[in-house]
Amino acid sequence: MTIYNFYIFDRNGVCLYYVEWNRRKQSGMSSEEEFKLMYGMIFSIKSFVNRISPTDVKEGFMTYKTSKYRLHFFETLSGLKFIMNTDLNVGNIRDILQQIYSTIYVEYVIKNPIIELDKPITSELFKTKLDDYMKGLPFFPAKVS
Amino acid sequence: MADEVLFDFLHMELVSYIHHSCVKEDNVKDTSIAKLESTGFRVGQSLIERFTKDSARFKDELDTMKFICKEFWNAIYKKQVDNLRTNHQGVYVLQDNKFKFLTQISNGKQFMESAPKYLAFPCGLLRGALSNLGVNCIVTAEVSAMPACKFQIQIQRS
Repeated sequence: MTIYNFYIFDRNGVCLYYVEWNRRKQSGMSSEEEFKLMYGMIFSIKSFVNRISPTDVKEGFMTYKTSKYRLHFFETLSGLKFIMNTDLNVGNIRDILQQIYSTIYVEYVIKNPIIELDKPITSELFKTKLDDYMKGLPFFPAKVS
Repeated sequence: MADEVLFDFLHMELVSYIHHSCVKEDNVKDTSIAKLESTGFRVGQSLIERFTKDSARFKDELDTMKFICKEFWNAIYKKQVDNLRTNHQGVYVLQDNKFKFLTQISNGKQFMESAPKYLAFPCGLLRGALSNLGVNCIVTAEVSAMPACKFQIQIQRS
């Protein structure tokens, strides 16, 4: 049970925050390119899923799975996108992503007057709180490589 | 529903607005602190009228200070002042270990330079409240490690 990494994007595709804990293989391109690729892919999948859906759309795109990892996605009403890559043992963590939004992002980013909303997050307090929260989750590994 | 944050957000925007307009006008940052303090002064005066309209006269200065530390602080910041010290010669130091406007900013040293801006309005609030209670004073604030901060009140006897 592991969490590999975590991204936060805003409504315009700017990557506000990225952190990795256990990433064993790099993607072979610079961080900037990787963020653009991730955002573009998520945006395309989201609209594709909504269009091709044979029944009424309720939540839209939530997660995809490969034989090695699973990607979870949560979008808020304000267009903020939270993306987390975990291993396959983890179930649906949509409500965890929602909790991260409401208790950590809103508390320490929105309520912090010094942080500008469309720039990457620099607050140490946010980083610490997020780290503590992640380490408290049951599927975070006890040893970190 | 979101009552407490209304004041927080309004204060955040007030500081940012006054700061930007001062920097644009005459390129001096200190006038923004003075403006925020005088705004707080006026608000403090009215607030204290409202809070004390039913209470009895205060016995002495120390009693006034205790009222400020308990009821006044509680009504505005939803908590009491953690520590009150005095040298019995007109200087009081109020210490708040988790000041409401600083808790979300940082947990130590980051963003220290911007902290004084957010303390100007509270200083004015204190000064206004005390002035309407008949106590003329000077209020200054200092931050060594967020979110704790100290307000120093110097009574002026003439």
